[in-house]
Amino acid sequence: MTVRKVGVVGIGTMGQGIAEMLAYKGLEVLVIEESSEKMAHAIEMIEHSLDKQIEKWALTQAEKKLVLNRIHTADKLSDMAQCELVIETITEDLNNKIKVFEEIDQYCSPDVILASNTSTLSLTELASATKYPERVIGLHFIHPVSKIDLVEIVRGLKTSEDTFNRTKHFVEEIIQKKGIMVFESPGFVTSRLICLHINEALHVLEEGVATADDIDRAMRVGYSFQYGPFEMADRFGLDSVLAALEIMFREYGELKYRPSIVLKKMVRAGHLGVKTGVGFFKYDKDGDRL
Amino acid sequence: MKVLVMNAGSSSLKYQLYDMRDETVLASGRVERIGMDSSIVTHEVPGHPEVRDVSEILDHVTAVKRVADMIVHPSHGVLKDIKEIDAVGHRVVHGGEVFKESVLVTQEVKLEIRKLFDLAPLHNPAHMMGITAVEANLPDVPQAVVFDTAFHQTMPQTAYLYPIPTVLYRRHKIRRYGFHGTSHHYVSDQAAEVLGKPLASIKMISCHIGNGASITAIQGGKSVDTSMGLTPLEGLMMGTRSGDLDPAIVPFTMNKEELTLSEVNSMLNKHSGLLAISGISSDMREIVQAMDEGDRNAQLAFDMYTYRMRKYIGAYAAAMNGVDAIVFTAGVGENSERLRAAVCKGLTFLGVELDTFLNSEHSKSARIISTADSKVQVLVVPTNEELLIARDTYKLVKEQSNK
Repeated sequence: MTVRKVGVVGIGTMGQGIAEMLAYKGLEVLVIEESSEKMAHAIEMIEHSLDKQIEKWALTQAEKKLVLNRIHTADKLSDMAQCELVIETITEDLNNKIKVFEEIDQYCSPDVILASNTSTLSLTELASATKYPERVIGLHFIHPVSKIDLVEIVRGLKTSEDTFNRTKHFVEEIIQKKGIMVFESPGFVTSRLICLHINEALHVLEEGVATADDIDRAMRVGYSFQYGPFEMADRFGLDSVLAALEIMFREYGELKYRPSIVLKKMVRAGHLGVKTGVGFFKYDKDGDRL
Repeated sequence: MKVLVMNAGSSSLKYQLYDMRDETVLASGRVERIGMDSSIVTHEVPGHPEVRDVSEILDHVTAVKRVADMIVHPSHGVLKDIKEIDAVGHRVVHGGEVFKESVLVTQEVKLEIRKLFDLAPLHNPAHMMGITAVEANLPDVPQAVVFDTAFHQTMPQTAYLYPIPTVLYRRHKIRRYGFHGTSHHYVSDQAAEVLGKPLASIKMISCHIGNGASITAIQGGKSVDTSMGLTPLEGLMMGTRSGDLDPAIVPFTMNKEELTLSEVNSMLNKHSGLLAISGISSDMREIVQAMDEGDRNAQLAFDMYTYRMRKYIGAYAAAMNGVDAIVFTAGVGENSERLRAAVCKGLTFLGVELDTFLNSEHSKSARIISTADSKVQVLVVPTNEELLIARDTYKLVKEQSNK
């Protein structure tokens, strides 16, 4: 089976990136969001992202139009029945995700793959809400989706071999990214390692060992990271980092996952990073560092 | 003998059906938007209105099937039975170093074309889909492949090697290949005919100036140098491609503007050339129009474009120690008298004398546009790559059946 139309449920930061990347690769994309305001905002953000790429000569005006023309909006979940693959990318809340899976499971025929972009939640638990748990799989993309060519393909306990193989084919042949197979485990590989890296950097900062700027520079220049841990956290969104750490702390019960106090404080203050213009550093509307 | 010529792209397919007895086109057309539920087939029989059909065509196999259906259609078809097609000839962009001429498709040939996917990632895989789609629909019909690079395989090492570590040539086959070979080949044959001289005695410079543009030095009918290189980005300034530049500009710009590889690639291929300098268009007609309306940037774009062409012509005249004929072909080369005049204006030192009247005449036939006294003959020769593909295919299939 070849995939031509992909559903994207929930179009926040990750959903936007996924929808834009899929459309750029030539696939038809059907997106859905809970309110029409959020949807309009998301489409605007995708346009903005494409404009930024034109500025960088990565795209032409004609290509931008083609990409946008491939993104269609749906107003009810039952429209997802047209798709060969549905990717859920709503906020990391287990109960809400379970609701979504329960619903789309009813509308989509059993050979449609249902994927979640969750980075920390249990696929097995999501799958258990459906009648066909063997077609549920994890597709964990990394932000910014159009630039990072890695996807974690996550197998839940009941994910079938066929579902895995078809998903792997989709990742490697159709959207041409590198897929790594991971078995369900909180944080998989990427989130687990990178969140610990950020959390440890926060401890270093709290202890007054070095400034945020210098810690970032040390990792960037010293170890070829594109961004240091603080700018990275700003770009992910501090709330997302906190949520991931909290889930891992709960699941593993190990102290090393306990979120730093500074992180909690900043999230409470609404300093969420790039999306609010201020986190550890300040950013303009385009997300460029000031 | 009926030959079907095919040019398969990743989501499109163009075709011409030739009757090789008199080389007439029986029908031609294209399939667009392959892979969508609203693919369009456009089919045209000379002297009849165009037929358009919109339907779901999800792959090349179905696309070829639709083309076959059109060809034998009771009302707008031209054949009674699809079995009347004796051979199919495909255009293939990259033939690497293996293919020095057109060949019949065999298992080994297909394997070699596959090996070349690396060098032409956008084109060769699509051509391959075209070949397998024909196999699926017309299993007994012989197929031939005609390569854009083959004509340039006669270049000497001095012309095709780049002065970089030779291990790169050995490991990755990094060298000059050149493109538009079928066109340069076709127009050089035609030009010799118009001149009434044997090709072997002529030093010719052919200018294929379309959306993409390349210049070839042809000595005794053989390509001895050409402006495009490992990829079609090198050489002349083009519609949206930069052509030659200091290679150090690439890392310098990547560093200054924080560009990724794909961004810099897209910048040089899609955001440069006429479009970048004029800020108006990549289309020469629009550049000339804006220039006439007094637009300075359009004037600059035009001047740079023609200046760079003239430099190449000068270089190739030096490479061959002389030049007898300069040939203009393809969209811009065939139709823009302004471009031809501007290029030739600065070539009087070579003995080029353009006849302004002949240059301004519009015609679809191959013709001389220089004065009777001109030491170097200047010609306009409409290119016809499809016909050359049909001829090569016909020749190969006939040779095989004679064996």
